[in-house]
Amino acid sequence: MRELAYVNAIREAIQQEMRRDETVFVVGQDVRGGVYPHTLDLIEEFGEERIVDTPISESAMHGTAFGSALQGYRPIVDFMFASTAMTVFTETAIMTGQQYFLHGSKRPVPLVMTGAWGIGKRTANDHAMPIHGYYSRAPGLRVVIPSTPYDAKGIFTAAIRDNNPVMIPWCTGIMMLKGDVPEESYELPLDKASVKRAGSDVTVLANSEQLQFALKVADKLSDEISMEVIDPISFSPIDMETILSSLEKTNRIVIVDEDWESGGFAATVSARIVEQAFDLLDAPIQRVCFPNMPIPGGYMEDYLRPNPEKIESAVRYVCA
Amino acid sequence: MTEITVTLTKEQRITLFRNLVRADKFGKMMYSRMMQGKLIGFYHPAEGAIAPGVAAGSFLTNDDILFPHHRGHGITHMLSKGIDIEPYIAEHAGKSTGCCEGRAAWHYAYPDNNVFGTTAYIGHNFVPCTGFGWAAKRNNRGQIVMNCFGDGAMGTGRSHEGLLLSSNWQLPIVHFCENNGFAIFAEVEEMHPTAHLSTIAEGLNIPTTIVEDGQDVFAVAEAVMPAIERARSGGGPTFIEAKCLRFKEHDIGNRDLRGWKPREQDEYDAMLKRDPVLVATERARAESLFTDGEIEKIHEDAEQEVARAVKFADDSPVESPTEAELMATLYAPRDGVSF
Repeated sequence: MRELAYVNAIREAIQQEMRRDETVFVVGQDVRGGVYPHTLDLIEEFGEERIVDTPISESAMHGTAFGSALQGYRPIVDFMFASTAMTVFTETAIMTGQQYFLHGSKRPVPLVMTGAWGIGKRTANDHAMPIHGYYSRAPGLRVVIPSTPYDAKGIFTAAIRDNNPVMIPWCTGIMMLKGDVPEESYELPLDKASVKRAGSDVTVLANSEQLQFALKVADKLSDEISMEVIDPISFSPIDMETILSSLEKTNRIVIVDEDWESGGFAATVSARIVEQAFDLLDAPIQRVCFPNMPIPGGYMEDYLRPNPEKIESAVRYVCA
Repeated sequence: MTEITVTLTKEQRITLFRNLVRADKFGKMMYSRMMQGKLIGFYHPAEGAIAPGVAAGSFLTNDDILFPHHRGHGITHMLSKGIDIEPYIAEHAGKSTGCCEGRAAWHYAYPDNNVFGTTAYIGHNFVPCTGFGWAAKRNNRGQIVMNCFGDGAMGTGRSHEGLLLSSNWQLPIVHFCENNGFAIFAEVEEMHPTAHLSTIAEGLNIPTTIVEDGQDVFAVAEAVMPAIERARSGGGPTFIEAKCLRFKEHDIGNRDLRGWKPREQDEYDAMLKRDPVLVATERARAESLFTDGEIEKIHEDAEQEVARAVKFADDSPVESPTEAELMATLYAPRDGVSF
């Protein structure tokens, strides 16, 4: 099958959906020029009416998407860097998330919000910050992160066709990761986790670049420990069914997430396991996350962020 | 810029007068129901400052998009646009017949009538209105956006951004500033360095109109109609600043201060002489628009309409869905939704 880089798989999803449905458009800053390659040269095919640049006005930029979505368009609002969406958190999380439900579940808000994040590029907190933890606490939003090129195309396609606001923060650490991607259009479920490697001794949840790390660790330990590696994909709502059915088999779990340790995905999943499946656990849940400090730039990232060594150590701890 | 001037027809003046009386009676009913404990949440009375909302709403089509000012919780604007007001009164009482199934209190929307609002986040209106304007321009069927807000909203960054994009893209938006001089207690003179807030829009190359007497519904309408016409015919945005008077406290139960001191009795006495219904009635009499009997009939009709809405709200049951039933409506389905 044909190989595509992750970021080009996003681009292909956007391009194919824009060809299929003329209500789809992209709005952002320098999306015409394509600061990131997922909008590169789309201007040539779709013109300025559908590849829309704004000034550095995040609230009105998001508003272009939010308001037009309420009028039946299907916008993709590109914040370039995911953390930039946080400058208008009221609009992107609260107002966008509550709109449909609070108004009687009548007029949907079909929009996609996206932006890049990623620890390990020595860019420090502002550019690197994961945002899925923050956004997954805003009811009414879907928060999804695809972690392979195949998933990137299927998830973006489904998100554009979905009738809800979908936040997709994608990770720069896997931007050029290559993988098989079908040329034709396809959708993947927005609310389902994906088992990336079957195993029987321990369940490891990991997304984005950490998924690659977890799979490497699984390879390395394959003679000693059988790791089941699951990509959560959906951070809101969380697919507990897939996680718990894996735990029934393994009775041990390690949750890896580059998000801060406190109050995020890993904390929520841990709490739900303790509430719903305490008896399944043969070892304490282990979380491998970023410590609760602003992400420093420079070389400190290497030993502060989750990495293969920390994942291996946590896996060995629960399997001991 | 070509100035468009209008002379209101007799029919248009009758519409404005009728909507003004209706808005006044609905506003007073809301005030008294709040005092009786029959409204849920807060109420931010519009009393005294209803002429701008009537002028903003009275000449919109159903297809036009309205974001009402939060003062009076938008009733003035909405009833002028011609929407069914009963489900809104029910919504404000937390009833199942409410326009948002009893979930929104006064943060309602009427999507089928293209009315979206209101919110606690002052200045938020500029955000969706940018997208409404973008959609209206691309729809290319003469649709316009009426974006209503107060002087307080002009302190937000959102207002700058919304004005900027509407000017860049020449969006069909009427930015309608109902400047009543107060953001809660804070005086506009103290919070803004310019005599007119419209100078902010001028700086972004948006045509502006100042209505010095925003107590006069006919004067406000004469400013609004050319702006609607400009937007409808592809002429881009307009910024209207209508100076008006807030008779009551910011929200019921709060103190009514100027800065941090109580407003003087003299101020209230002077204001009441500029009651918008009084002003309009004097003009209507002077211009022989109505007979006294016709004016009386308009008041009676409005009172009956208010009574019907109150009865509808009172007779409706309180909504009490289960948590599971509510959760099932959190996300929109793929099929069977309408825009």
